[in-house]
Amino acid sequence: MDSHTNPCLVKIEAFEGPLDLLLHLIKKNEVDIYDIPIALITEQYCDYLDMMRVLNLEVVGEYLVIASELGLIKSRMLVPQEILEDKTQEVEDPREELVRMLLEYQRFKDASTDLSNREMVGRDVFVRDWEDPSLMNGINKQVAKGDVWLLIGAMREVLQRAKLHQHSGIQFELELVTLEEKIDEITRRLQRGKRVIFKDLFSPGSTRLTIIVTFLAILELVKKTVISVVQDSPFSEIELSYNGAV
Amino acid sequence: MEIINIKKSIECVLFISEKPVPVETFYKLFPDSKKSEIRQCLAELVVEWRELERGFMLHEVAGGYQLRTRNEYSDVILKYKQLKPYKLSRAALEVLAIIAYRHPITRVEIDRIRGVDSSGVVGILLDKELIEIKGRKEVLGRPFLYAITDKFLETFSLKSLDDLPTLKEIDGIDSTLNEQTSVRA
Repeated sequence: MDSHTNPCLVKIEAFEGPLDLLLHLIKKNEVDIYDIPIALITEQYCDYLDMMRVLNLEVVGEYLVIASELGLIKSRMLVPQEILEDKTQEVEDPREELVRMLLEYQRFKDASTDLSNREMVGRDVFVRDWEDPSLMNGINKQVAKGDVWLLIGAMREVLQRAKLHQHSGIQFELELVTLEEKIDEITRRLQRGKRVIFKDLFSPGSTRLTIIVTFLAILELVKKTVISVVQDSPFSEIELSYNGAV
Repeated sequence: MEIINIKKSIECVLFISEKPVPVETFYKLFPDSKKSEIRQCLAELVVEWRELERGFMLHEVAGGYQLRTRNEYSDVILKYKQLKPYKLSRAALEVLAIIAYRHPITRVEIDRIRGVDSSGVVGILLDKELIEIKGRKEVLGRPFLYAITDKFLETFSLKSLDDLPTLKEIDGIDSTLNEQTSVRA
């Protein structure tokens, strides 16, 4: 696997969740799903979670739930079977429930692949006036109102850009900006020009703190309806415009 | 002569329609014609359009009939319409598959199968009108029950839900492993 030579090539984000990751590990190690070597898989699973943390990807709760589940199974398998055999007639494999979950998930994963292999309207075949309803607002209207998620998404991009700059080894002085200062600054900028592109409010060299304060300032101004956030069409630049003082 | 006229009338309706037209609509439109005759016309149209090898064909989808372009010509249409191909994320496809096979189903039940929270994806699918709320489950919290829509059937070129292949029983995941390696080779 490439992962040993260059861990950066691992597309961790492509995993749809903890079960997907487990299936991947089982396939990668070419082990029998009905006889999962729990110790090995648990170790690799936790390695992946560590790697996700290193790459600054969010390790969400669901991953941790399965991690603890794996730990539990591992410990159960260490318990000598004689002790457990006291009361129960049949000893259940502690892995059984997990295997059932994995197989069930795999079935739907296969089914979803089959679905996407079908002739799809809007991709393979076309019909009269077919539109994706979730995009309709953006296409016909000149200006679509953005929402907070759009902003947060853009915010993520800006933060990532900032991270790249910091990794280049340049040191930045800690600058202290207050929310009030930022609000004033953005308001003045918007009063001057008609519209300002969202990304332009963040200079590439900004510290994380400045970016966050700027973002909070934008949210505050939107809340007070001093400014509007607009996006002319899907994927175009997000712009801010001035509504006037309250 | 009469048969030909009905056939052409049906063709006209199909030509202008934005949605798959159910056969019952034609029964109502031509009350004097025999139902078998109408069905015969539709069947003939399907064959004729296919054999003519024109740019579009007549398909039976989502409980009706619909004219659709041939898939070989998707590029030119996307270019003409200035659109990106319709795309669904893997997560969205997984949730759709689960709902299609296990409907009506609550979000928590979907989450349990996927091992991951699906609320965002469910919201997107609702926006895309591929799924809909079909009521509430009478359990604690009365959660919404989701089911797939006609738009889903139309989008995935399915006549009805029965048209979906039965879920495969999986003995192991070795088969998928082999498939993937052979694709890569």
